[in-house]
Amino acid sequence: MSFVSLRFFAFLGIGLGLYYTILKRFQWIWLLFLSYVFYSFGGITAMGYLLLTTLTTYISGMYLQKANDKIQSQKKDVNKVKKWKQQKKQFVFLTLLCNFGILFFLKYWQTVVNVLHYRTGILLPSLELVLPLGLSFYMFQSIGYVIDVYRGKYPAEKNILKYALFVSFFPQMVQGPISRFGDLKKELYQKHAFDFTSIEAGLRLMLWGYFKKLLIADRASVVVNTIFDGYTGYAGSVILFGVILYYIQLYCDFSGGIDITRGVARLFGVHLIENFKRPIFSTSLQDYWRRWHMSLGAWMKDYVFYPLSLSKPFLKLGSFVRKHIKGKAGQVLPVSMATFVVYFLIGIWHGANFKYIVFGLWNGILITLSILLTPFFIKIKKKLNIEDKNPIYHGFMVLRTFLIVLIGRYMTRAKNVTAMWQMLKLTVTSFSLKALTSKTLMTLGIEKKDYLVILCGTLLLLLVEFLEEKEIDVSAKSKKLPVIVQVVGMFLFIGAIVVLGVYKDDYIASEFIYKQF
Amino acid sequence: MDQLQKLLMEIRPDIDLDSNRLVDDGYLDSFDIVTLVSEIIQEFGVDINVEDIVPENFNSVEAIYDLIERLK
Repeated sequence: MSFVSLRFFAFLGIGLGLYYTILKRFQWIWLLFLSYVFYSFGGITAMGYLLLTTLTTYISGMYLQKANDKIQSQKKDVNKVKKWKQQKKQFVFLTLLCNFGILFFLKYWQTVVNVLHYRTGILLPSLELVLPLGLSFYMFQSIGYVIDVYRGKYPAEKNILKYALFVSFFPQMVQGPISRFGDLKKELYQKHAFDFTSIEAGLRLMLWGYFKKLLIADRASVVVNTIFDGYTGYAGSVILFGVILYYIQLYCDFSGGIDITRGVARLFGVHLIENFKRPIFSTSLQDYWRRWHMSLGAWMKDYVFYPLSLSKPFLKLGSFVRKHIKGKAGQVLPVSMATFVVYFLIGIWHGANFKYIVFGLWNGILITLSILLTPFFIKIKKKLNIEDKNPIYHGFMVLRTFLIVLIGRYMTRAKNVTAMWQMLKLTVTSFSLKALTSKTLMTLGIEKKDYLVILCGTLLLLLVEFLEEKEIDVSAKSKKLPVIVQVVGMFLFIGAIVVLGVYKDDYIASEFIYKQF
Repeated sequence: MDQLQKLLMEIRPDIDLDSNRLVDDGYLDSFDIVTLVSEIIQEFGVDINVEDIVPENFNSVEAIYDLIERLK
């Protein structure tokens, strides 16, 4: 069910109406019912995968809880404790194998078939698999739960229906965010009285999301598709223009979708975590990854980076390297390798295409280099008497990060590595600013007024984010305006979304870019 | 404590040792924490597990010191 459809709004209206009235005593059960109705629009097979993950991770959680309790009650018996710990490890391994196996199978089966056929001539059945809605997101969320129970962070949820709601809560089934059970359980299971502030906050968030998605992202996508599909016919300046627009499109599409998700959840009184923190103002690539798709970054940090870099083989490697390489390099090299693995995984999570591996390596190499060179940069800054807070230096760091991220965007949007390389080459070798004329712009699929909407929309977005970066609460400030100004402003904003949003008969606006992952 | 402070200064020369929000204010990121933990394991001979890697254990020099003492 699309977030931008009358059916969704009817679903939401009925859902909310009953949630706060007749069914207010059964709110979480109603939410579970709504979530399954929402998900059923994705088909029976998708529902099967959702149930499979829900069941396997639920059973795993219950078993791990039993093991944790046994370890606690039999802690004096070293052998028994050892046995339970061993069984816990085996059980977690099996759960991960089963669920990541499904993820791998659905995402990469076709690639395996193609590669095998190309290399050996063996032709395996293609199966025409369709990736179920939100598969990665609910799977990462459930696996996070299993590992947390394994670590004893919180007790397992005994009620299977409550647990099923945690896995399937419908607003986050499209593209996350990846929540943690510890944060979400209270939000989902407690009673929520009708609260006008929550409704207002939810609607504001949704409107802001629709603004980003329908006014900016969907318009920019037309130009982006035209340039990336026919890049050989354009000068470097036009290609760069396309990549900048793609940067804007991707941010507005993904963060706009998350705003809608968080807004819908808020209507039901549920607070979901933030997934973006104004990445345009990042001062380094590491900073960028802390602000972009934050829930995935945090997941990777807690469940891949820490366990990997603190595992025995990595620690052994660390002491070996430190013995042989003195200084900062010896200190950070083993950790850099774990960083590398994380970015490699983030890369291939995006898809079974070599370009994503290159994207992962690009980020991993740059971050490792920046860490290795940190002492050198600190010395240079001291020598030149430059402080991080210096506005010119700060601006330089923001611009530098923007350019680095932009190069990465060539990788994620180009069709393949060859196209990416050629586009980068064209940008540098045949830039020709003269080619970027209004005449060229008019051949890219949208009209002058569309460019104006993208420009004004992006400037408004930048202004709001700039103020928020300066810790000015724009939402609170706007509430202090006279009521009439707020009402008129709200109507104008809704009017702009309705009138200027991109709606086409053959275009499904709900097709968020990150939905495919 | 002095040994720990020295380690911290080696990893992040710009760190504010009096801060009690080292993680929350971004002085220590995940990379620094892992580097620090590896050093602590080596220097102090303690076993730090993934479960111990929570902001509360790394937000101040005292908190890190307490963690080491607890695990000794």
